[in-house]
Amino acid sequence: MATGFKSTRKGISASLDAGERELLRSLFADVLNMLEPETPADADPLAAMVGLDTSARVPDDSALRRLLPDGVHGDDDEALEFRRLTERSLRENKTAALRAASVLLESKQLLLNADQAQYFARALNDVRLVLADRLGLETDEDTERLHGITDPSQARDVDGYLALVYNFITWLQETLMQAMIRSLL
Amino acid sequence: MTLSTAPGAVLSTSAGTDTLERTDTESLVGKDVPWVVIVWNDPVNLMSYVSYVFRSYFGYSEAKANKLMMEVHEQGKSVVAAGSRESAERDTTAMHSFGLWATFQKTDEP
Repeated sequence: MATGFKSTRKGISASLDAGERELLRSLFADVLNMLEPETPADADPLAAMVGLDTSARVPDDSALRRLLPDGVHGDDDEALEFRRLTERSLRENKTAALRAASVLLESKQLLLNADQAQYFARALNDVRLVLADRLGLETDEDTERLHGITDPSQARDVDGYLALVYNFITWLQETLMQAMIRSLL
Repeated sequence: MTLSTAPGAVLSTSAGTDTLERTDTESLVGKDVPWVVIVWNDPVNLMSYVSYVFRSYFGYSEAKANKLMMEVHEQGKSVVAAGSRESAERDTTAMHSFGLWATFQKTDEP
């Protein structure tokens, strides 16, 4: 049974059971899979070196669109230009955090330094963004309706199960944030 | 597996926000800084996480980070940084890497 993250003198610690670690690992793997670029790095070595991706376009999948959002509001051409310049490195950046978090899950007892804690927080956050999209959470009211789903017996269908997982990850991330904020002081 | 969400922890809750002062976004925007970074509200990101990101990435004080976070929550968006186009682009990408939805624009654009 998870007790969440705690701030200790040695670092930020948590004890997760095998089922919880397996769940997190598979969710991280799902998001890693989504972030895999559709096309290989640009053949032009200079373009590849600076991370330029001339084939980048707005993702069709709404969850991926939330992970890789437009950087310019209300100007599709400017937004696409910015995406071509930055999307590949953003994918790599997110992928690095998810991979680091997956590796940390290999031990039952987690003890995180500041950098590792931030990787973990970012990985959990990206998982929540994807789950929220799959659950169709678009407004603050939508998320409030999910708050009551905390018991496995309430997971009667796929959405119920996703809501249960979403609430678990939300709770876990909240304990991590409280621990990280305490260690900022 | 015990599941529990902390009530009031999610950005979607509105309790206890009435007494907080509104941030004056104008004060963040100096005269010679024509580009701004805007962070937009969403129903997913935790209030604690958004505040942590503003503190750790921008180096803002707890008070300033919380003010900006509440502005995002209550007004739907907030200007979180201002500066050159290069720094606005860099900050926007950094916010995306944290999973926050950010955009950059010229100060005088609507």
